[in-house]
Amino acid sequence: MHPAGCGIGLRAPHVAEILATRPGIAWLEVHAENYMGGGPAVRSLERLRADYPLSVHGVGLSLGSAEGLDAAHLERLARLVERLQPALISEHLSWSVTGGAYLNHLLPLPYTEEALDVVCRNVTRAQERLGRRLLVENPSGYLRFRHSTIPEVEFLNALARRTGCGLLCDVNNVYVTCANLGGDAAAWLDALAPATVGELHLAGHAVNDADGRTILIDDHGSPVADAVWRLFEHALGRFGTTPTLIEWDTDVPQLAVLLAEAAKAGARLDEASDVVAA
Amino acid sequence: MSSLRELQAGFRAALLAGDERGVAPDVVDDGVNASARLAVYRHHVLTSLSAALEATFPVVCRLVDRRFFGWLADSYVRAHPPAGPCLFEYGADLPEFIAAFPACAPLPWLADVARLEWAMNVALHAPDAVPLEPEALRTLPPATLARLTLRLDPSVTLLASRWPVDAIWDANQAGVDPAPRVDLDAGGVWLEIRRRDGDVVRRALPRAVFAFRAALAEGRALEEAVESALDADPAFDLAGEIRALLDERLVC
Repeated sequence: MHPAGCGIGLRAPHVAEILATRPGIAWLEVHAENYMGGGPAVRSLERLRADYPLSVHGVGLSLGSAEGLDAAHLERLARLVERLQPALISEHLSWSVTGGAYLNHLLPLPYTEEALDVVCRNVTRAQERLGRRLLVENPSGYLRFRHSTIPEVEFLNALARRTGCGLLCDVNNVYVTCANLGGDAAAWLDALAPATVGELHLAGHAVNDADGRTILIDDHGSPVADAVWRLFEHALGRFGTTPTLIEWDTDVPQLAVLLAEAAKAGARLDEASDVVAA
Repeated sequence: MSSLRELQAGFRAALLAGDERGVAPDVVDDGVNASARLAVYRHHVLTSLSAALEATFPVVCRLVDRRFFGWLADSYVRAHPPAGPCLFEYGADLPEFIAAFPACAPLPWLADVARLEWAMNVALHAPDAVPLEPEALRTLPPATLARLTLRLDPSVTLLASRWPVDAIWDANQAGVDPAPRVDLDAGGVWLEIRRRDGDVVRRALPRAVFAFRAALAEGRALEEAVESALDADPAFDLAGEIRALLDERLVC
């Protein structure tokens, strides 16, 4: 089954309700690292995948690590992918591992030729082991490095060109990064190579204060902001209908709230496909 | 300008040790200074890992209260960051960290409560294993049997404590009101924690059975495990215990 329409990120508090009521959700995305053991969580996912298309979203591969990928973790991901046979597999343009420590965050890369070589090498190795095309997601940014020479969107385009990977365009991350670091979010989307985009993400963000200035935090803890809905419509105009996901990770609400967000995205996807059909 | 490897090591030092010298010079300071920008990342790393530890050790957190636990977890994360990205595997050495944490010294039983919670976490997430069929043992000649080592289900932990950690855990569950008084002088416990049919189960074992199973769990041969059991109780019933191991689907 291939994802179409708007899916939701599967979160532990909703699993029992989804199993019991089988609501009409277009597809489910799971964090790979939550399913690398055994037990009831894995058992539940095995049951859900019979009824819903599945996407495996890794958060721990650390594609930007200068020291290369953790071979043992890549093996575990490969075994999970073999077992679940997901329609989509995605990871992030970021790093989390250095000196053998996992820092549990999608940390920023300098956008340099050196970093591009590192990420290309790691993505190629992952795709070779998985035997599958990865989608790589743009991160949310809170800082820039002085020695970055390549615009983020060009870095992603080059990565896709050199490795054959696809891109997961997180629309909220584009909005957050452009607000925090300067930049025009619509222009960012316009510069992304449209044929490479295989998935879109939507989520809420928080508005915080840092050093006396407003900073947006990609905390996945609220409804999608109005400005991000508008940017999503812009993205659909550019990329056409694309499998889209609602993510919610902090203060996870009732399932119904998540489904209502997915329905809002689904209505926009329908409109976009009508435009294409017309 | 740092190499990517140097930059990442410097970023780690900024997040975990508060030493920003290796990375701050590389960060653009345009209205929001480098420290404030790095603090956004540090905040997420420390709070998300602390939350992961709280999810694995909820009774420890309740016993010391959330503020103290936050400090304890923060200290632990900085000293022992995760070695891998599966957070259900993070916290294995928190019990030892608690045992050595000076501020926890007035609560000498706390490390064993943490061991119990870690054992429950292992039980919940351990790989699924196929139990051994009883026939497999029946066909073995007795001489071979004595030298046999049996692999226990990977969800099993055998936990001995000089404190009544099971009673402490039970008294600190939500909805237990009023919380029963726990007699800390009640004596030690010999516990088995495992997953059975998807549920984490805990039970107290007789000393000899515990000694037998703990020896097997350490990878010792059957005859050595029997010696340990007989040391604890000369009336240990080996045949009955082998049957129990298989009936309980404990061997795989």
